[in-house]
Amino acid sequence: MTSMCEATTRVLPGAAVIELAGEVDGSAAGVLTAAYERAVTASADSADLGTVVLDFAAVDYINSTGIALIVSVLARARAERRKVVASGLSAHYREIFDITRLSDFIELFPDLDRAVSQLGTA
Amino acid sequence: MTQVARPTPERLDAFTLPSKPGNERLALARVAGTVQGRGLSDASLERLKTAVAEATMNAIEHGNGNRAEIPVEVEVTRSGDDITVAISDQGGETHPGGETHPGHGDHEEPDLLKKLDGDQSPRGWGLFLIRNMVDAMDVTTDGQRHTIWLTMRTTGAAHDEHV
Repeated sequence: MTSMCEATTRVLPGAAVIELAGEVDGSAAGVLTAAYERAVTASADSADLGTVVLDFAAVDYINSTGIALIVSVLARARAERRKVVASGLSAHYREIFDITRLSDFIELFPDLDRAVSQLGTA
Repeated sequence: MTQVARPTPERLDAFTLPSKPGNERLALARVAGTVQGRGLSDASLERLKTAVAEATMNAIEHGNGNRAEIPVEVEVTRSGDDITVAISDQGGETHPGGETHPGHGDHEEPDLLKKLDGDQSPRGWGLFLIRNMVDAMDVTTDGQRHTIWLTMRTTGAAHDEHV
């Protein structure tokens, strides 16, 4: 299936940022996994590997399979003792993060700037 | 018990879609266009869109087995303050893994902690999302025809816009 999801990865001091765009559904599995790998690899030299920021500002659709992908990323990050935070979710998807309890494990920020600044990586 | 007369449902739209993965986005967009301006708040409209997409995805995948030649049927009706979207497939009572079939398939309430610990599949959010998005949900089966009914309560304020 052709993915309608794109991911850009960049590393800041203490955090790796994965900026997602398009649709986070089943077709995004490869894109999201590869982005996480890039983020982890690129930040391997950092003294603090603690945080992965998932930025959803340019995402217009997340379905149940996309939620499952995010759960998988979170599970892997937890196993690797990395923190995951999210930014840029619309009010609707913040609600979905709440009812699925993802927001119990992923701190939500209104936008990427605030996520980065509050993580002390600005 | 007092019987309350229910108004006859007004059909707002009815259409079919081939059972191809991704067509849930077409259902979402068309239903959203149909109910726009009919009294749903923006938040309720977003919830209905998610519920319609999830239910259509289940119908395509679990009900009709991704067989494009078997259509998913979608009907949108309004009855009083309620807008109802009915999504039908031909999965009958025995959906393989059919999430929308209470009592069938691998229906288990999703538990995020179990999923994070590997004790439950990361998947299985579809029916959970649907239930939490709509004001009422019902499932009926008539022979092979399986229908999920998604109802949202409107504010009533905009009912006359499209009459």
